[in-house]
Amino acid sequence: MQNRWTGSVRRRRTLGVALTVAVAAIATSFVAAASGGGSRQKTISVAIVANPQMQDIARLTPSLFTKKTGIKVKYTILDEGRLRQVTTRDVGSGGKAFDAVMIGPYEAPQFGSAGLIKDLTSMAKSDKAYRYQDLIPAVRNALSAKGHLYASPFYGESSFLMYRKDVLRKNGIKLPLHPTWQRVAQVARKINSSSMAGICLRGKPGWGDLGASFTTVLNTFGGTWWSAKSNGKPDKAQVNQPAFKTALDFYAKLVQDAGEKDAANSSFNECLSQYQAGKVAMWYDATVAAGVLEASDSPVKGKNGFAFAPHYKTPSTGWLWTWALAIPRSSPDPADAWTYIAWATGPQYLKAAGSRVKGGWASIPPGTRVSTYRIPQYKRAAKSFAGITLAAMKAAPITHPGTTKRPGLPGVQYVGIPQFQDVGNRCTQLFSAVIAGSIKDTAALSQCQNIASKAIR
Amino acid sequence: MTAAAAADATLPKGTARDPFSSAWRRRLPLLPALLYVVAITQLPFLVSIYYSFTNLKDKTQSLIPEPTRYVGIDNYKQIFSDPFFRQAMWTSVKMTVLAVVLSLLVGTMFAILLDRTFLGRGLIRTLLITPFLLMPVVAALIWKQQMFSSLFGVLNKALNFLGFNSVAFISDHPLASIVTVLVWQWTPFMMLIMLAGLQSQPADILEAANVDGASSFGIFRQLTLPHLRRYLELGALLGSIYIVQAFDAIDVMTGGGPGSTNVPYYVYQESIGGGFRYGSASAYAIVVVIFSIVIATFALRVLSSLFRDEDRA
Repeated sequence: MQNRWTGSVRRRRTLGVALTVAVAAIATSFVAAASGGGSRQKTISVAIVANPQMQDIARLTPSLFTKKTGIKVKYTILDEGRLRQVTTRDVGSGGKAFDAVMIGPYEAPQFGSAGLIKDLTSMAKSDKAYRYQDLIPAVRNALSAKGHLYASPFYGESSFLMYRKDVLRKNGIKLPLHPTWQRVAQVARKINSSSMAGICLRGKPGWGDLGASFTTVLNTFGGTWWSAKSNGKPDKAQVNQPAFKTALDFYAKLVQDAGEKDAANSSFNECLSQYQAGKVAMWYDATVAAGVLEASDSPVKGKNGFAFAPHYKTPSTGWLWTWALAIPRSSPDPADAWTYIAWATGPQYLKAAGSRVKGGWASIPPGTRVSTYRIPQYKRAAKSFAGITLAAMKAAPITHPGTTKRPGLPGVQYVGIPQFQDVGNRCTQLFSAVIAGSIKDTAALSQCQNIASKAIR
Repeated sequence: MTAAAAADATLPKGTARDPFSSAWRRRLPLLPALLYVVAITQLPFLVSIYYSFTNLKDKTQSLIPEPTRYVGIDNYKQIFSDPFFRQAMWTSVKMTVLAVVLSLLVGTMFAILLDRTFLGRGLIRTLLITPFLLMPVVAALIWKQQMFSSLFGVLNKALNFLGFNSVAFISDHPLASIVTVLVWQWTPFMMLIMLAGLQSQPADILEAANVDGASSFGIFRQLTLPHLRRYLELGALLGSIYIVQAFDAIDVMTGGGPGSTNVPYYVYQESIGGGFRYGSASAYAIVVVIFSIVIATFALRVLSSLFRDEDRA
């Protein structure tokens, strides 16, 4: 008994010592992480969207940025829909997860006016190397509210129609530079075959996915999501109006008749891979895709023709979008965040990237700076699409996208009110189901009308 | 036996309620853990109840932030007039019932198979359990990209090989696709419960039935099935509790939509998933909690009756 007793005390003592050591070790590792992160190696966290140009910059950051500044960049790469949720949640709740987030012209003016992200104007203007005046005005304005710049553009885009010149020629078809939707639909149905679909149109739910492509069609078919009061506030949901139904039926029918396989799951990236694999002959999407199609490592390089976004009742219909970097108000390290943003979206990165990215000069981030279009190597590599991209961006009808007045802040493929994110997401789920054929257009429209009118109440 | 335990055994039983009795002294160290659990689960719940009576919205949801107001039971009234909530309820019911019944059926069949001795039983058992060990997100991704995909999915490759056209499984049959993944994941769980049931069956009774010349189907129907009843109930109830909260598979595979948005996913859409209407989302969540408590009460009753039977045996 005596022996056992002392034994257990000794055991307890060892256990106690072990516990103390373990706790101490954990505590010191926390302290080390905190101080080590702060003093020696600075680290910032950045959330970006998973598109090819962003993946390029993530690869180039260690050699081109961290080496020079000593600032390590931790990337969180997410698909469009998820990025929006994460950034909206983080920015809105004042979370400290990110020093810089990638947002667009839908979010930047709204978050900026609500004071949720930092005003970049003074930093951008005083930073000589950044060259504020070099930004393309349409893009700069889209990211500003009342003259204050809230996000710095990484790339800018409009939407247009890309097509395989060789396939159309074989079928004896010539597309005009400004085609109508009816003509495009006719061509798509004609060239559609079992091995190659006529056209790739976004069908994946999400306001920035199916919502973006569809809203440009809706605009030019004379429809709108909401009517506007004279003070710019949304008045009534217009989803139950005939023009909306015509647009939805046109879009869904075209995809069903001559669209890509499994359209209800396809968006930019899916269409891109199908087009590159030769499974679709035409593709209506972001102009930024052209850089990937004409990149030096692209299987369809040199085979592509480009036309302006198809139209119907309005003259120009292409959207305007830019993925841009902003600093949340709650960013732990705004100075380092700006150093990073100025590098990533500055003119030097574009010049440095051209010779380093896999796709060559054609695949550098386009549509943000006038100077990009003066780089001789870029002009040569992007000959077939640089001009039309710039023209499409200039023509994007952001203040008058349709036939009637729109509520909220300016926008083409979205409505500039906070409620649109949720309404767009949920309604495009319904429209996506219409494309898949699992529900009727009338059912989808009446449910969507319900969502849209409840949201603005 | 240690000295403390020996001393404890000599105490009269009635003193256990005295807060200074040794039983309570032994429980005392658990108190911090209990308080911690209460703090991190019950306090947030109380806050949600409070939110459910307000019109709380995210700051990003209005250009001019509105003050949060008390709105009484408006949020609750709205639930019953909201067709999407009804749709989500219906989807939840279909999804849960289908997934539970199918996984229970398949699980029972596997359990009967594993109840026999054969070469490589250990290996087969491990393989059959594997789906349950996978993270739900991973399982859903594997099914979405490698099985269902119309571009590079195994199922469509097989269909094409047999001369059929490709099927866009997830777009055309969202509910069936999700149920398939849920069944695949939950079959091992059901199988383990049913296997435990089968192995707790007294061998002498089965032997007696055999000697009396009963057919093997007769034995299964008359003896095994009644014995398994409680295990079936347990499996169904535990399965329902877990599957009713299915979220991962829906988020990964369809991201919601008609036919695949169940109640938890709808609550997510209303709140941090894009709607950012925390007030009404809290009300939805609380209704869900009430339903879950009802199901859980049934589950606990079945569990306790199971143990009571065990005691009697």
